[in-house]
Amino acid sequence: MARPVFWRSGAAEDAVPRIAHLDRDRPLVEAARRDPERFEALYRRYLAPLYSYAYYELGDHHAAEDATERTFLAALANLHRFDERARPADGEGASTFKVWLFRIARNVVANERRTARRHPAAVLDDATAAIVADPLDVEGDAVRRDEAAAAWRAVGRLPGDRRRAVVLRFVDELSTAEIAGVLGRSEGAVRVLIHRALRTVARDLRGRDGGR
Amino acid sequence: MTFPGRDVPEVDALVTDRYLDALLASGELAHAGDPAGRDGGGTRGGRSTGRGAGWGSDLVSGLVSGRGGPALDEAVRLASARLTRDLPRFHPSFRFEERLAVRLAEAAAAMRLPAAAGAEGSVTVIPIYPPGLPDGFDPLAEDPDPDADDIAVLASRPLLIRGAVAASAISLAGAAWVAWRRSRGSSPIGRAARAVHALRGRPV
Repeated sequence: MARPVFWRSGAAEDAVPRIAHLDRDRPLVEAARRDPERFEALYRRYLAPLYSYAYYELGDHHAAEDATERTFLAALANLHRFDERARPADGEGASTFKVWLFRIARNVVANERRTARRHPAAVLDDATAAIVADPLDVEGDAVRRDEAAAAWRAVGRLPGDRRRAVVLRFVDELSTAEIAGVLGRSEGAVRVLIHRALRTVARDLRGRDGGR
Repeated sequence: MTFPGRDVPEVDALVTDRYLDALLASGELAHAGDPAGRDGGGTRGGRSTGRGAGWGSDLVSGLVSGRGGPALDEAVRLASARLTRDLPRFHPSFRFEERLAVRLAEAAAAMRLPAAAGAEGSVTVIPIYPPGLPDGFDPLAEDPDPDADDIAVLASRPLLIRGAVAASAISLAGAAWVAWRRSRGSSPIGRAARAVHALRGRPV
């Protein structure tokens, strides 16, 4: 992934261009590089997003925990290999550390899927428990669970990178540029992936709902 | 909104992308049109991605209506609303979170000790990964097809601790710690007793 590394900023400093690093995790990453025990702050920040990603991919809480653990241990051990590369186009909140971390997670999860041969759609039904029940609206609650399960199944049936792109976009709320970094594709390709995935999900849900 | 030099699928994808940016920024499912006829505020309504909600709402309206450019595909809009509402985030158990935090702290401490002593030279290999990863596995390596069925040849990735004098570094660190502890006194009660003793010697 060839990307410009730095961003010049400040009109007054044109004579001596100032280098501005864009990664919002940079202070935490630098602290962790100086003292590995400071890695905990990064761990707390990204635990839930990474775990969510792993759970959607693997469809099993134990497998997701294993993948999350391996991802963070790998990140800590390889932090010296992390190379900050953010672009102005990625916005002020862009984090290349986040992209790097999700790339590790993607590889770990891919390995887990190969060995375990699990399929998310088969087990994601368990996740309907995540919907908060409303004791005063039992019928509505059942409908919500049913609809959520249908949406999860539709996402689970998507082919690999389409599914990953949708989860990263909707669950982890990564930008298109960040997803491109995670999946190793161009931004245009990621946009098309997500667009096609949404059309597929729409068809799937429409078929299930009988064209409602 | 025009997109010169782009073909139709690319333009559709770009419109969808901008819509999702706006939708996720605004968190307004009501604006997106809940397909089940319920009001907004789904599973994650109101979550912000750092952009202004007003910006998101305006752009959502513009893209949905097609003002000034290609309109958003209705099916894509409804699917987006469903997924925004129905795909929650998950969090691992508190027990797992703390167990992994301890594991990471132990690994970090193992990495820090030799480095703090300024050790350089040969490499000591300490495997830190949980069992189960095949030999040769590199978490940073490119994986062109994660869904491929062929099982890669993988190997455990070790934690590398540099330092030919790791053992002596630990001894030096231990000696320094003992010296520091002695200089600080044995316990809070001991320090308090010494402070009282010192006060008694002073004139009132």
